Amino acid sequence: MAKQTVKPSKSGNFVGILVVIAVVGIAAIAYLANGKASKAVTVDPNVPAGAAFGYIRGDSTAPVQIIEFGDFECPSCGQFATVTEPDIRSRLIATGQVALTFYDFPLDMHRNTWAASNSAACAADQGKFWEMHDRLFEGQNEWNTQATKDPVSVMKGYAKEIGLEMSKWQSCVDEAKHLDRIKGNRAEALRRNIQSTPTFIIGDKMVPGAITYDAFKAYVDSAAAAKAPVKAPAKAAAK
Amino acid sequence: MNKRQAIAALSLAGFFLATYLTLYKLGYIGTLACGTGGCETVQLSKWGDFLGMPVAAWGALFYVAMCAAAICAEFEWVASPRLLSRAMTLMSGWGVIFSGWLTWLELARIHAICRYCVVSAVLVFVLFVLSVLELRTQREG
Repeated sequence: MAKQTVKPSKSGNFVGILVVIAVVGIAAIAYLANGKASKAVTVDPNVPAGAAFGYIRGDSTAPVQIIEFGDFECPSCGQFATVTEPDIRSRLIATGQVALTFYDFPLDMHRNTWAASNSAACAADQGKFWEMHDRLFEGQNEWNTQATKDPVSVMKGYAKEIGLEMSKWQSCVDEAKHLDRIKGNRAEALRRNIQSTPTFIIGDKMVPGAITYDAFKAYVDSAAAAKAPVKAPAKAAAK
Repeated sequence: MNKRQAIAALSLAGFFLATYLTLYKLGYIGTLACGTGGCETVQLSKWGDFLGMPVAAWGALFYVAMCAAAICAEFEWVASPRLLSRAMTLMSGWGVIFSGWLTWLELARIHAICRYCVVSAVLVFVLFVLSVLELRTQREG
């Protein structure tokens, strides 16, 4: 007979303790999942943008106008920009269903994000904001706070890659020509009580987090439906 | 509660902590946003992954292994308690080194502290101490 190191009653207590820990652990994770999951809140979509000045992609008369508050150094924004946004561009923006306007929300925790916003704003002067936007997010690990103390030198390489006129871009960056615009965009995010990046305003919903394409599309559909005129039934059914 | 039981119980608790951090890192819990807290900074830094997997997932695997070894030692399953005690000491010793390295990264490189990571580091240290004491008991016995 196998040697038993614990008495049945003690082993019963031990198993009971493990079961209690497992139940508490599962309950805690379930609670945190429900309490902290990305949830949309209803907001007033007509709040004016104030001094903020975003960067639009798509048709400004598209039926659904989306606002994104993003931070170039935020990995979650990078994840959205590189994984989800290409689908949004090809399936929603290119088809004229939506237009997306990006507003900078540089967060204090990211030392190099102001340089990125500045670089992108200066690229916008030459009509290449989105090219710089994409390159910055693709190369986030090359210029973020952990990677370098001189992010502009990395961004200079991106500016060359996307074909900017370097002297103009460099002097714009050096002068921090668009600092007020970036500050305005940030102030707008704070005024709207944006808590994290990225955050999207889609119709009357404020949606935090790097949501999936399907979730994004569902918000777009519901915003479009809310705008669409309600059609009366063609004919009442005969009784 | 003896030392093996304590190791199993603490490892199970650690497993849920690491699982929470893994799910957070993978975006299943929370928004993975960058607006608040040191945990996001730490988890989303370039040191948030190790050998292609989230560091927290490695932690979850470590806790599962520790818990399984402690339960097997308690009931004398699979291998002798002495062998399992050695395995627990080795695993938790490696865990202490790894947690120490991660804590150093948080302080010196990432400049942010994730309180869950600190709790995990303390847990790993306690597991190491308990494992060493258990191994000593096995040798004396």
